[in-house]
Amino acid sequence: MKIYSIVFASLLGATALGATGANAQSTPACTGETVTLRILRTPGNYPYPKPMEAWQKDNPCVKFEVNEVPFPQLADTISVQAASSNPPDIIVYDGPNTQSYAAAGILLPITKYLPKGWDDDILPATKAEHSYNGEVYSPGIEQTTVAMYYNKKLVEAAGVKPPQTLAEAWTWPQALEAFKKCQQGPAGAATVWGLGPTRFGNGQPGLVYQDLIYQRSAGDPKVAPTSSAYKTFWAFAPDGKTAEGYLNTPEAVEALKFYQSMFNAEGVAPKVGIPNAFFDAKACFYIDTPAAGNALIKDPKIEWGITPLPYFKTPVVHTGSTTFGATARSKHPEIAAKFVVDMSWGEYAYMNVSQRGNLPTLKSLFSRFDVYNKYPMKVFVDQLQSWGQPRPPGPKFAQYDKIVSEALRGVAFGGNPAELMADAEKKVQRILDR
Amino acid sequence: MRTTRIRRTALTLVIILLIIACFLAPYAWVVASSLKNQFTVFGDVTPLSWRAFVPVGATIENYVSLFERTNILRALSNTAIVAIGQVVFTLLLCSMAAYALTRIKFPGANVVFMLILLTFLLPIEAMMVPLYQVVSGLGLSNTLVGIMIPWIASPFGLFLLKQAFEELPAELEDAARIDGAGHVRIFFSIVLPNVKVPMVTLGLITFLFCWNSFLWPLVIVQDPARQIIQVAIAQQGSPTQLPNWGETFAGATVATVPLILLFLLLQKYFTQGMATSGIKG
Amino acid sequence: MSTGEQTLTVPAGAKTRPRKAATRRQKQERLVAVGFLAPFMLLLLIFQYVPLLVMARNSFYDYSLLNPAAEKFVGLRNFADMIEYDDARRSFGITFLFAFGVVVFVIPIAFALALFLDSKLPARGLVRTMIMLPVVTSSVVIATMWSFLLDPSNGLINGALDIVGIARQPFLTSTQQALPSLIAMTLWQQVGFGAILFLAGLQGVPSELGEAARIDGATRWQVLWNITIPLLSRTTLFVVVIMTVFSLQAFAPAFLMTQGGPQEATNLIVYHIYNTAFIMQQAGYASALSVVLLLVVLAISMVQMALLRSRWNY
Repeated sequence: MKIYSIVFASLLGATALGATGANAQSTPACTGETVTLRILRTPGNYPYPKPMEAWQKDNPCVKFEVNEVPFPQLADTISVQAASSNPPDIIVYDGPNTQSYAAAGILLPITKYLPKGWDDDILPATKAEHSYNGEVYSPGIEQTTVAMYYNKKLVEAAGVKPPQTLAEAWTWPQALEAFKKCQQGPAGAATVWGLGPTRFGNGQPGLVYQDLIYQRSAGDPKVAPTSSAYKTFWAFAPDGKTAEGYLNTPEAVEALKFYQSMFNAEGVAPKVGIPNAFFDAKACFYIDTPAAGNALIKDPKIEWGITPLPYFKTPVVHTGSTTFGATARSKHPEIAAKFVVDMSWGEYAYMNVSQRGNLPTLKSLFSRFDVYNKYPMKVFVDQLQSWGQPRPPGPKFAQYDKIVSEALRGVAFGGNPAELMADAEKKVQRILDR
Repeated sequence: MRTTRIRRTALTLVIILLIIACFLAPYAWVVASSLKNQFTVFGDVTPLSWRAFVPVGATIENYVSLFERTNILRALSNTAIVAIGQVVFTLLLCSMAAYALTRIKFPGANVVFMLILLTFLLPIEAMMVPLYQVVSGLGLSNTLVGIMIPWIASPFGLFLLKQAFEELPAELEDAARIDGAGHVRIFFSIVLPNVKVPMVTLGLITFLFCWNSFLWPLVIVQDPARQIIQVAIAQQGSPTQLPNWGETFAGATVATVPLILLFLLLQKYFTQGMATSGIKG
Repeated sequence: MSTGEQTLTVPAGAKTRPRKAATRRQKQERLVAVGFLAPFMLLLLIFQYVPLLVMARNSFYDYSLLNPAAEKFVGLRNFADMIEYDDARRSFGITFLFAFGVVVFVIPIAFALALFLDSKLPARGLVRTMIMLPVVTSSVVIATMWSFLLDPSNGLINGALDIVGIARQPFLTSTQQALPSLIAMTLWQQVGFGAILFLAGLQGVPSELGEAARIDGATRWQVLWNITIPLLSRTTLFVVVIMTVFSLQAFAPAFLMTQGGPQEATNLIVYHIYNTAFIMQQAGYASALSVVLLLVVLAISMVQMALLRSRWNY
């Protein structure tokens, strides 16, 4: 905590100095017309106040008006506001929606605003996710993925030793054994759960980000593209034209039966959310992003460790994060684009990334985050580099996400995996046909 | 004779206890739990004990955090502003329209009334998208006025007042008319003072409706500074973080208590209004 | 009053075309009427009829809210899709089942409560207040409260079941129990309202009728069945209408508690419309669904109103 604030203070000092040097004025004043940029973001998300204030020193004529909506309502809000007569200038949104928003003409292409050297510095996965038809629509600020946290005391008491490197990562059946050993109380109504519930959404299982990787990891990207194992791994046609044959595969159904058993027959994971379960020592294992680890570093409520995410056949984790972009119908597109690009480059990017504690998207910044150079947080970096895959992209991601999440939730609640996946394929197809 | 009476009393008692268990207990649980931390809430439920309904070892920590972390005070005052505005304008517009329909003879009154009656049946929840287009087209999205304006011309309100106005004896205004009073004066000084009860009823129902509205404010307002209470408590979790149970209960309590107090105060009007609208429906 | 084929176009001003030249006084009256009605009618037209027309128009288009400019005319395709795919059928089916469930339980329980409240009862006001509490509580709070009551691991109802030795129930996470759970919640929420309406009806029934029948040797039960209930048929019908319309328009439970799941078991139509427009980005199809819902609600209300007028208009 202290170190962070010192870093911050010195950073601020540096920027302030830089500003005075450039302007040769102690307080920069706006000489031209004032411009107000309207930002739509989720609470507690970037752009953060400090880099914004620092940026305003260099751009004294820009003011901000920030509107916030909670993450579950973010996509709905964007779809309402983006089409309105007075859209926000800058939107924060879930990264995989980039192509959808680009195709709908909501986002402004920012390729020409990108600084020199950006192409070499950006993580390729981030660039790919935020590009559409050869244009970049969002520079990206942070990158994230999930790994499995564990409560050291509980796990040790149960005599379980979770692996710490990717090479030794568990398979799901091994993980299940650990969940069962560690869980306290009756199956399905535990006092301490084997695998805690997510903190995303309403806490129920099924999210594509976290739960589609069960079946994807049962696939295999190295076999023939016509095989079901290949299709299982991608979960969506690489050309984005169909999901048929990609979700309802024998491999996926097998994996989903296992997934289902965790919530039902084995009873090691709850079907509904329990706020803070892991942080309150009511769960042995827990899947979350680096943000949870960084929160625990600042406030170590429990002793904890990280183990790589388990898999069936091919280890895989989803990448991506919220990101932001300028809107195409902004009244100040130049300034909005400049702000967006500036916020994700150099010191501003560092300030933004270090605030929440996810991973940066610029390779040059990795060295500045000491915490990622060693266990436990290093697991995230390793996973990103070796296992990371974007969520199935395409201009209809939002619909795919909702449909598949509902199907996964149906499976977790006890529905027939093959039927639910077949139904999801049909629904996705209907959307794609339009 | 005596045994049947005892049996009846016992039966009455059992029914009352049942009603308490069904209707009061959940509220008691919510309020009591809002004063506990999450694990006490869980612990009191499994196994269930009387403690679940009583704030044993109360802490106001949930409320402190709720008021510190969220904009709930702002949301409460926004809601009060919107609700009062909506009540005032609904009463004014509905009573004026009801007056015209009952006290002034003009051709086409039936058509107008049919037009109004028809909207009574519109499932407005299903019309959010076009309504949004209209309201934002008028530049009213993200404003408090935008929250209330679509509901001011309330067909229900008109309906309720029209019935009340019809019951007023014609003699009441005849005298005034002979004295040369115009419609405006008759409306304000003779008709309105005689329909206080239905006006209070409508005001209360409008207030309730507005205080409890959710879907429309959710769609039309994004600026947290203009958020209203129901949306605020539905969204009180920080991003991607489930709110803890105690705090959610605290939010529910804060959103409900003002309304229940108001209801207890004006209950007579509410039940009366509901009942009359039903009887003559 | 002679209405004839005259129409009144209020917001356009006082343009009425009477068959015969109106007297000056009549003209003045009309002007006053327009003045009194104009604010109300103006808002009504802008916020109810304009959206209605926009919606009707949109139902023939395919467009997304993200990019409304790219709309294209698709004729009746949206309506054809409702037949081709089973989502509309299923959602309407579930909504009807929900409405039916609510009405079937609200009517007898509300009636029984009203009878109870109508009897000589200590603390009658208190009991009435208690059953009215859910009526004045917002759907958001009720949905939140019931999510927690019905929680499979830490919910109050499972805690209570545990005490009497019944196994824990999955409630909202089960395809079989989710809709019944929502029906139970709505019953709880609305029964007080129904009871108040019935109570007002009961108090309007002349007590002499029952007393006379009792003297003639009828049992209490017979009086209830043969006199009170038939006399209350008008009130009953009204409660049925209100509860049906409420249920057809329910949104908060599906939105806040189940997201229409599991496996669409609670995919109530208004939530389905919201989801189709805002998440599936098929605003045209959503408009078509809204049009059908509107027609359904209108049809139900018309039938019920006709019944009200014809048979029980005494």
